Amino acid sequence: MNLIERAPIELLHWFLNLLGSFGVPQWILAIVSAVLIIGTVIGVFLGLFALMSVMERKILARAQNRYGPNRVGFFRWRLCGLFQPVADGIKMITKEDLVPRTADHVVHFLAPVVMLIPALLVLAILPYGRDMVPADLNAGILYFFAVGAGTEVAVFMAGWASNNKYSVLGGMRAIAQMISYEIPLVIAAIIAAMISGSLSLPAIVAAQGGFAWGFVPQWFVLTPWGFVACLLFYIAALAESNRSPFDLPEGESELVAGHLTEYSGFKYAIFFMAEYVGMFAVCGLLVTLFLGGWQAPLPFLVIVPSWCWFFGKVCFVAFTMVWVRATLPRLRIDHMLAFAWKFLLPMSFAAFLSAACWHYAGRGPLAWLLSLAIVGIPYLILGTAFSNRFAVSRRTYQFSE
Amino acid sequence: MTCPLCDILKTCCADPMKFLGDWFVLLPALVLLLAAGAAVVMRNLIHAALCLTLSFIALGIVFIALGAEFVGFVQLLVYVGAVAMVIVFAILLTKPERLTKSGSAFSGLGPAGGAAVGFVALVALLGFIFTSPLAKKPLPAPASAPVAAIGEALMGDYVVALIAIAVLLTAALVGAAVIAMEDKQP
Repeated sequence: MNLIERAPIELLHWFLNLLGSFGVPQWILAIVSAVLIIGTVIGVFLGLFALMSVMERKILARAQNRYGPNRVGFFRWRLCGLFQPVADGIKMITKEDLVPRTADHVVHFLAPVVMLIPALLVLAILPYGRDMVPADLNAGILYFFAVGAGTEVAVFMAGWASNNKYSVLGGMRAIAQMISYEIPLVIAAIIAAMISGSLSLPAIVAAQGGFAWGFVPQWFVLTPWGFVACLLFYIAALAESNRSPFDLPEGESELVAGHLTEYSGFKYAIFFMAEYVGMFAVCGLLVTLFLGGWQAPLPFLVIVPSWCWFFGKVCFVAFTMVWVRATLPRLRIDHMLAFAWKFLLPMSFAAFLSAACWHYAGRGPLAWLLSLAIVGIPYLILGTAFSNRFAVSRRTYQFSE
Repeated sequence: MTCPLCDILKTCCADPMKFLGDWFVLLPALVLLLAAGAAVVMRNLIHAALCLTLSFIALGIVFIALGAEFVGFVQLLVYVGAVAMVIVFAILLTKPERLTKSGSAFSGLGPAGGAAVGFVALVALLGFIFTSPLAKKPLPAPASAPVAAIGEALMGDYVVALIAIAVLLTAALVGAAVIAMEDKQP
């Protein structure tokens, strides 16, 4: 158990000691260690991206009662179409890279690069397992959102540089959406940081360790405020990563493909990759903040290595995102922004208050009831107001029949 | 005989990582200066705004390289995430013909006037920095948990300022909502 649990760390130490025994200087060892860690993290997430790109299509197909991609295999073996990402990759690389003549060539070229950098940088602070965090920053959550801010710049650059009205509209929508949904996202994250008393992600995971009565995990999602904050974070994360039902910036029925309209070939592939890696990163943050990070759900399951739990939970959250995509239709832009400002924002303040009351009322049964009331009452009021405001009246056909 | 360049080279060969750590800050600082300069001289307004964004990012990295993690991250979050986007939105929502017209009050003075004003501001700032009592104080030891220390300072000594800023921001937000509100036709 302990061996598999610590296998990645031990392997790294073994390799560095081996190099050290050949008399390699210390500073080269430091660089090799950093490169190995970065390479492993990026490799794992690119593998997840490749797997996700085929699994998403498979799950959507299953939800819509069809087969999905099942042809591409290795020579004669089909392997359920699992080699689809390889075929997609070859297609993307060999495609012609078209740049419109009136486009701003430099900015058009830089936009995918700027998009990919933050998506990869945020992977540095996630705690992947016990003692497995590439960079334990004192202000980890802040780092995540600070670096993530670069995505907005990239989307704007892509939209503006393409010199296409659909691109500009898509870019403007994307920025409006990202700025609006960033507020509930950050407040939900702050709640978890406030209760665990630290902005550092390993400390937040440690605060969710242990089991109540020996078997109930103390994850934040299992408290009233934590449940609400987790849902708010999830919804805002869907919007931040431009996923359905918030995929308006690239809503193909209105805007062709939004800011991606004038991108083709490998530049498009980089955008696609950055979006998926960013989605995995935000899923990882959700798991870390509310679902106990790498902690096992039950005491006897501790024998499973912690990093398996982390990636298992991340894959589960990613699966629910695909599930939501298969289930919900796209929102209208004004509904989407109204939802962010008039529902998610007040609810995130309610969850904030609720968490504070839960902490100061002693975290006992009374605290439970109090915090439940503080998030429940605003939810009922806002929920009824919203369902009346946006009630879909039955469509009447005037001219048919 | 010792030349400063040889000393630098020697320290570099002795421990390259430490050398990099000590001198790394010059790189983003250089980027910061170049990007800020480019933001001033660029003809295309969007390019100028993007250069300004790059200088914001470089400034954040300078802060982080100097050990002020928290300030660096907040710089990135606020300036890149919000201020740069507001500038870009403002440019996009302005009519294009207004951008090409150069009819500002200072157009007669030209670049020379701007340079003069900038130089006077620089001299005044440097004067204030070097004569302020803070410059003569020795540097305090870095805190073990900087973010916690900043939080305690904000909630303790500077709580009145914090609350005042909160009220100000709320007022600004309400004002923005009032301006953006649709006029109900009677």
